[in-house]
Amino acid sequence: MEHPSPSRIVTAAIALATAPLGVVSADDKDLLAKLDPFLSQHCYECHDDLTAEADLDLLSLDFDLGNPANFAHWDHVFRRVRSGEMPPKEKAQPSSRERKEFLELIREPLFAIDRADLEQYGRVHGRRLTRTEYEYTVHDLLGIDIPLANQLPADESGHEFETKADIQQLSHFHLDKYLVAADAALDEAFGRMQKGDAEFKRFFGPTELTARSGGNYRGPEARDGKVRMWRMTLQFAGRMPKTSVPESGWYRVTIKNARAINPGPDGVVWGSLRSGACYSNEPILYYIGSVEAGKKLRDHQFEAWIRKDHMLEFKANEATDKAPPSGASGGNISFKGRNLEKDGFAGIEFDGIEIERVYPHGPRWEVRSKLLPGVKFENGKPVIKDRKAELNRLVTAFAHRAFRRPATKEQVEPYLALASQTLEKSDSLQRALRVGYRAILCSPRFLTFIESPGQLDDYALANRLSYLFWSSMPDAELRTLAKEGKLSDPKILKGQVDRMLDDPKSERFVANFTNQWLNLKEIDFTTPDPRRFREFDPIVQDSMLLETRAFFAETVRKNLGVKNFVASDFAMLNTRLLKHYRLEEIDLQAGGGLQRVSLPKDTVRSGLITQGSVLKVTSDGSVTSPILRGIWVNERILGKHTPPPPPNVPAVEPDIRGATSIRDQLAKHSSDKTCASCHAKIDPAGFALENFDPVGQWRTAYGTSKNSAKVDPSGVTPEGDSFEGIRDWKRLHREQPKPLADAFARQILTYGTGGAMRLSDESHLEAIVESTAKEGYGVRSLIHAAVASPIFQRK
Amino acid sequence: MKNVHIHTHQPLSRRTVLRGAGVALSLPWLDAMMPAFGASTPQRKKRFIGISLSLGLHNPYLIPEGTGKNYKPSPYLKSIQDLREDFTIVSGSSHPGVSGGHTAEGSIFSACPNSRGATTRNTISIDQLFAKHLGHETRFPSLVLNTGNERSPSYTENGAMIPAMTDPKKLFAKLFIDDSPEAKKGQAELVRGGQSVLDIVGAEAKALQREVGAGDRDKLDAWFTSVRELEQRLEADEEWIKRPKPKVKAQVEPGDRNNAADLKRAMLDVVYLALQTDSTRFVTLHCTDNTVKALEGVDESYHGLSHHGRDEEKLEQLAIVEKAMIDTWGNFLRKLKESKQAEGNLLDDTMVLLTSNLGNASSHDNKNMPVLFAGGGFEHGKHLAFDQKNNYPLPNLYLSAIHQAGLDFERFATSSSEMTGLSSRA
Repeated sequence: MEHPSPSRIVTAAIALATAPLGVVSADDKDLLAKLDPFLSQHCYECHDDLTAEADLDLLSLDFDLGNPANFAHWDHVFRRVRSGEMPPKEKAQPSSRERKEFLELIREPLFAIDRADLEQYGRVHGRRLTRTEYEYTVHDLLGIDIPLANQLPADESGHEFETKADIQQLSHFHLDKYLVAADAALDEAFGRMQKGDAEFKRFFGPTELTARSGGNYRGPEARDGKVRMWRMTLQFAGRMPKTSVPESGWYRVTIKNARAINPGPDGVVWGSLRSGACYSNEPILYYIGSVEAGKKLRDHQFEAWIRKDHMLEFKANEATDKAPPSGASGGNISFKGRNLEKDGFAGIEFDGIEIERVYPHGPRWEVRSKLLPGVKFENGKPVIKDRKAELNRLVTAFAHRAFRRPATKEQVEPYLALASQTLEKSDSLQRALRVGYRAILCSPRFLTFIESPGQLDDYALANRLSYLFWSSMPDAELRTLAKEGKLSDPKILKGQVDRMLDDPKSERFVANFTNQWLNLKEIDFTTPDPRRFREFDPIVQDSMLLETRAFFAETVRKNLGVKNFVASDFAMLNTRLLKHYRLEEIDLQAGGGLQRVSLPKDTVRSGLITQGSVLKVTSDGSVTSPILRGIWVNERILGKHTPPPPPNVPAVEPDIRGATSIRDQLAKHSSDKTCASCHAKIDPAGFALENFDPVGQWRTAYGTSKNSAKVDPSGVTPEGDSFEGIRDWKRLHREQPKPLADAFARQILTYGTGGAMRLSDESHLEAIVESTAKEGYGVRSLIHAAVASPIFQRK
Repeated sequence: MKNVHIHTHQPLSRRTVLRGAGVALSLPWLDAMMPAFGASTPQRKKRFIGISLSLGLHNPYLIPEGTGKNYKPSPYLKSIQDLREDFTIVSGSSHPGVSGGHTAEGSIFSACPNSRGATTRNTISIDQLFAKHLGHETRFPSLVLNTGNERSPSYTENGAMIPAMTDPKKLFAKLFIDDSPEAKKGQAELVRGGQSVLDIVGAEAKALQREVGAGDRDKLDAWFTSVRELEQRLEADEEWIKRPKPKVKAQVEPGDRNNAADLKRAMLDVVYLALQTDSTRFVTLHCTDNTVKALEGVDESYHGLSHHGRDEEKLEQLAIVEKAMIDTWGNFLRKLKESKQAEGNLLDDTMVLLTSNLGNASSHDNKNMPVLFAGGGFEHGKHLAFDQKNNYPLPNLYLSAIHQAGLDFERFATSSSEMTGLSSRA
């Protein structure tokens, strides 16, 4: 990262603001005198008291790094001179020796003060659980599985990691919601312990699934003892009122013996399964999953949280298939007198749907053992002799687990006191326990990461690991290793990282990390206009997301090199994506879901950056912008950061009529010299991606009419290499994996520690990257090296 | 920042001493100003309603020709000419340093500079500033509403977003339907339970400071502040639980899910009742719903139309939608105006702003924000036309509003002064 983002400067400044440090050894005046020849020759012309371009007046700037603002200025000067951005290309350039000498003079004091600050205060300050981490943690603590994240305010992280402590918010509002969420969790846990688990298991056949219940009929077709559903475009087509569930909960939904009717050449018909109220005043549908029906009969099973009174909606739903007419007027669907199979329409036939209430996290006894560990039960009743002593034992044990480290007697005391008071007042052990647990769940010892400056102790290390790979609290094995002080042993640590990555819980890492690193959390932020993007449907969107997660997981599992982010010889695809990407020549097993396939040589679809999910989250649903895509690729893959545009620059207005290309508009914009210098760095990757439309499909022009502007995907990289299009661009960057490895190491460390990388971390980062060079900068090796580095192991 | 002197021996007039950034005052102020359950304040109550549109208003149809008192109504303003003397239209203004298209929504009411939407912090929004200093006089310090989703442009002083209520029926129930005695008892117990948890949380934050080092001081301070603020709210809550909610005869007429303007109407109906019963005085309503197909002549989504790309057919449909949004605003003003008070009408004491983070939704430009500002005792009836190329700071309007409500801040966000051309009615 040669070019600091403003927030990084601020971060450094805030960190330093905590106390002035007197560690600068160089005589400041003396140093300034040494810097002066370079500054006079190359800098003052624009950055003096009169011109002060970019608000930087170097002529009046002291060298006083203990002052945070001053540090930020020199940090900035250092990085821009080092990257070669300054002095600007059109001005006289210093010799490489002059540049080197100048940089060495500033580097030492900058690094020294940054290192001293890190030593004293650490990089990460008061990181708290994100709401996703909160939910997983409370689930593990109590053995429950109800949604809790949505009870808490969203983690507003903008385009950064939600785990980053310096952007995490806390307000009275959050505290209030922590109380609410703790109550919801404890209600559920104590409720299940007392009342047992709700049971619900029903099979719905053709009669039930086609039953009417007021309003228009939008359900499936019953024929020959089976159920069939087609691609009807009416809203809520495929809704089945009888499937409404009696209460909110997790349900296992099984579509029995499904097969494709009139599949295309790929041998399958895709369907979408969703739940919702299915009425226009409450139109939100929750996606449960995609059903890939093949020629052979097969069950399709999903587990989903379904809200009370919501029903299932299931239909064939490939936008590339022809939609049959509804067969009735007034918003109804009718199959009377029609044979849609004979008419050639694609559909899905099945026997019926089974719905069963499940508790994915664990059965009731697990909840009980987490609420009342070590308590004996006789005839379903707890046997407790000394209630006061038992209360103390249980609250203390809960605190140890919730705080994820042993708590001293004094630390547990306030919780015990509150619980004991309640026991005296209410004479109910259960109430007393609840009150104690509630306070523990709102405690900063539970909600934040307790990390002391310097080397982390084994408990703090166990925490970082566990939240990095599992988004939740350490399990028993990690806790034991921490207790025995063995976790920081490099061999044991490496073994644990492998164990955690190989555990199914690492799916959370894949999902949460890619959600934030690649911004996949915004996959459903825009809905492409169906009239302009006729081949896009919810199955494509779902598949794209799964594709990218599977691709990243594969690079971790097989320790593939980071160059695969840019270009790869394989992809993770299903039949729906094959069609969307026009890769039908690849052989896939019909009905086999996502599969690893070898890509034809020189395909445009290799690597991460040309996956549909990425192309979709980097556009606004109707048009693409090389600027947005360029910034995305620069910041997330190449590790290059661009400063925001200066104020008062008009935005570029897209033209969806297709008469002018975004490139022409940008060319006008960039003809301004001040704009051009940054856009030369921002736009190239975006230009290379211009052949991909907002839903990730290939295009060569911006519209379908004859007069449509043609796509021009050529450009010149900031390093001066010209490229014809995305293939060339990928080749250029695939051959330069080192910066990709550095960028990835920074991403994983920022996500995993909750703190941004600092200037003086560079030597550690170089070591991480270097140690993986031999094996082609493997993704898993980089993760191992990152976790083993001081950056991960110190506060 | 100037020093703050607070005399706690006699009741404060509201327009007293709040100079400076006004961030660090809360406790003494709140105590001294706590007439919520005593005699009513002698001053007239001031209210602020901020309505924001997530998709802007098409400026060529909004901005009138001519300036000052003699402007010629633009197509969008024709239908509210009966209210001409009750509102001001401002053109050529925006929030300095705010960009980033849709992501600038977070700054609509905070005016917090955000450098391309990449900011990670927000500052307090004007409604929450009001709620913090004046909100304790009503049952609900503020209402944060959205027609489409739970996101809002209302932010606490810690920069955390306050999730919005989205259902007018639930809002109505919250305002006017008394909870059962058991529920009330339960609530009171919860409040007390919450207080004892907060005691521990505060003490723990203090203890942790010794364990995790001085670098975490700011973060732990946020815990203290949050504990203290929630405690104050819980105390006030305890009082309100004891009192019955006001009774109203009206019922909620739910909005049409296929008509974004009607959803806005449904919310404003309830907001009107809330103001009438003095249940709250500070409200934001963010209009984000995207479905407008129930409007005659419209067959695309609101968002799709906002990206008109200068396509004439789309612009025609967009105009239908945006007129409906303005008409709804006008109807709300009319109702306030008809609602007589001891002195004047409700509109006289209620500032009603209609704006958007987008000055041009098609290009996601955040300059030239649409601004219609009504009521609140200002001298209206004008078009304040500022430079469309070099925008005038809109936070100046917010500072005028803050002063109008009796709070004496020197600035709000990036304001430079009160708004030029906007003055209090004599």
